[in-house]
Amino acid sequence: MTDKDKTPSKSVITNHTEEGSGGPVMPRRTFFKAAGITAGALAAPMVLPKIKRAKAADGPIKIGHIEDLSGNLAVYGVQKYHAAQLAVKEINEGKMLKGGPVGAGGLGAMGNFAAKPPIMAEGKGDVNIVDDGGDRSNSGMGFIEDEDVLVDSGEKGLLGRKVELLGPDGQSNNNIWQQLTRRLIQEDEVDVLVAGFTSAEREAIRPIVDQHKQLYFYTNQYEGGVADSNTFCTGAICEQQVIPVVDYMIKRFGPRVYTIAADYNFGQLTAAWTKAFAPLVGGEIIEEEFVPLSVSDFTTSIARIQQAKPDWVFTLLVGSNQSNYYPQAAAAGLDYPMASTVNMAQGYEHRRFDAPSLNRMFNCVNYIEEIPTTRNRAFVKRWYEMFPEDPYIGQMAQNTYFSVHLYALAVRLAGTTDQEAVKLALESGLSIEAPEGAVFLEPSTHHCSHYIRLATADEKHQVSFVREWPSIQPWWLQRVGVNLVRHKEYKQYIPDEDPFFSMFQKG
Amino acid sequence: MSDSLPLATSLIYQIGATTAFLFLAAVGLVIILGMMNIINLAHGELMMMGAYSATIAFHQGLPFWFAVIVSFFVVAIFGAIMELTIIRRFYGRELGALVVTWGVSLMLGQGTFLIFGPFMPAIKIPGGSFSYGDFSFSVYWIVLMGVSALLILALWLVYNRTTYGLQAKATMQNAEMARSLGVPTKRIYTLTFALGAGLAGLSGALLAPTATIAPFMGQQFVAPAFITVVVGGGANVISGAVGSGVLLAVIKTPIGMALGAFSGTVALLVAALIIIRIMPDGISARLQRLFDRRMQKRQTS
Repeated sequence: MTDKDKTPSKSVITNHTEEGSGGPVMPRRTFFKAAGITAGALAAPMVLPKIKRAKAADGPIKIGHIEDLSGNLAVYGVQKYHAAQLAVKEINEGKMLKGGPVGAGGLGAMGNFAAKPPIMAEGKGDVNIVDDGGDRSNSGMGFIEDEDVLVDSGEKGLLGRKVELLGPDGQSNNNIWQQLTRRLIQEDEVDVLVAGFTSAEREAIRPIVDQHKQLYFYTNQYEGGVADSNTFCTGAICEQQVIPVVDYMIKRFGPRVYTIAADYNFGQLTAAWTKAFAPLVGGEIIEEEFVPLSVSDFTTSIARIQQAKPDWVFTLLVGSNQSNYYPQAAAAGLDYPMASTVNMAQGYEHRRFDAPSLNRMFNCVNYIEEIPTTRNRAFVKRWYEMFPEDPYIGQMAQNTYFSVHLYALAVRLAGTTDQEAVKLALESGLSIEAPEGAVFLEPSTHHCSHYIRLATADEKHQVSFVREWPSIQPWWLQRVGVNLVRHKEYKQYIPDEDPFFSMFQKG
Repeated sequence: MSDSLPLATSLIYQIGATTAFLFLAAVGLVIILGMMNIINLAHGELMMMGAYSATIAFHQGLPFWFAVIVSFFVVAIFGAIMELTIIRRFYGRELGALVVTWGVSLMLGQGTFLIFGPFMPAIKIPGGSFSYGDFSFSVYWIVLMGVSALLILALWLVYNRTTYGLQAKATMQNAEMARSLGVPTKRIYTLTFALGAGLAGLSGALLAPTATIAPFMGQQFVAPAFITVVVGGGANVISGAVGSGVLLAVIKTPIGMALGAFSGTVALLVAALIIIRIMPDGISARLQRLFDRRMQKRQTS
């Protein structure tokens, strides 16, 4: 972490103190065409109306980061904290992820690769195999060779200031989360807050965030629906994960689906998505079972699944108690294909459990450590150089990593850390080259398009990729009429508020 | 008929598995809470230590059953040290013991997390499975049912056929009287706590293949363990725990099978609530009274 050479470049500072005082307003489109990613982008505040001065013009830029470093959720929290540490270190060492404003038009203009339709070959013919370490073990894979995306930013730190990470421990306790959020916002006056694993944690602190108009990144994959002017959700959501995997599973294994889900808002809402979407592709949810988070003995659930005889099982199980399901089901001889949105990429069950507990598990992920691209291999290498003891790099750790870099990109664009200005910069249609691939922050909903891959584990728990979608948009909030650029909101939509959902369910 | 027989077999298997789970979760606590009246909130962490000892021993190359026995002794020794240094100061102060064991549980959980990290490699569940009708059954759970029965037998023998058992029962009933009769009560307390801890470790090791080996894994066992012990009651702790395990499993399984895991859990909690309400001293007190009355009748007639 320590880095002796952090003296800010004077020229950059003077460059910035001159800005924000008006000047000719360039039309956005022209500006975005012109805006590069370094000096050009730094002039951006000109186009952003009413820039206020940053609170503290000197001293470090403070990134507040809350995750669970102890307690039941520490397995995920430590990963995310390390991701933030890595990103902050890189920023302070003068590195940035490629990216820049592409305007409201979307990813096509700026991403390294244009989006393309899903690869729809049937059967196992297109399976690309990488071994346990993520190295290629078969030739002829469909992934695109790519160059590394970490480039020089031209300055050490951000706007000539050092970036400091304040990372208190949420202790897997929602009350402590609220106290820490207040402390970070009111006492430490952080410039940005990056926090939250479970939806319960996010909903516990979001009212405090909104009360202080705090710029906030939620980096987990989740059930979707948060439309909040202060919150930017950089994880994948149901329309990006559930729909592709349900579509694939029904086509490959059959229409009868048994859903077993954790009994809280994530599990309930994701199950609702599945129930709404399955009939559109000819599927049918034959049974839905919600399991309390405290349950760790799955004997009865396993017998119920056997009685129902589904074609495949959709497992939305969360936490270490519920991951007992996999070895117990394997020991009871339950060998249905499985799909999920949380397993493998999040809790690395394929590394922790002996094969073949996760045989034929399918999950649409926006990131998994085994992604074989050059940029991801470089990211994984940088990570393990800094944290050689870490067991795995999960999906939400990668999200936190690129979110911190995304924040840096927006600050450079805004030319200030003033939070309202940074929010406007984030709403200008930014794309960033994350380890997963190009990510586009969709301005109207504050959610990200993602590079989605359908990953699966075989009977030896080797990960391979059977489908990929280079860019899936977060479209559902747009459909229910959310436009945070024009109209401020501070709520979470649920599928029940969308009349189409009930229409789907009636068939 | 061909349809209902496999279902009935599956239900019996499920009841057996749930009973074994409840009994194994509770067996260490039966001794420590049921006999010594120490509200041991570190029970889950003792089970976690058992699971960790077994996992480490297993991955060092020991056979699984040997690793289970190792974990009994590791956790029993830890229990003895815990009793000698901490628990000893809290006899008769139930709330003090509750707070101090909670503190110990936090230190054990977080300490394990700091030393061993978030997860340990799993132990593959020994034995395979076989199927009958639509259903398939895990051999390991059937073995666990047998092991539970053996444990019950062993405990019964220890407490009814050995000098230690007699002295332990005497000490728990009236320590002063026992001491005046020459029973080394201090050593009995240490031994009893060590036995309870060791049993928690043993059952943690036995359940380890079915669980995620993680620093906070013990918490999943704490609620079922306390419910089983409290519903069982203190008059005869071992038969009480067995009785309540079977009763709760018989209520939970069919409801869970028909309506899902959520309803099964609710049914178990409601059943526990009702039983404690109508039998405040637990099932074992009711059984004891029935037994006494029958003995009286037999004597009078």
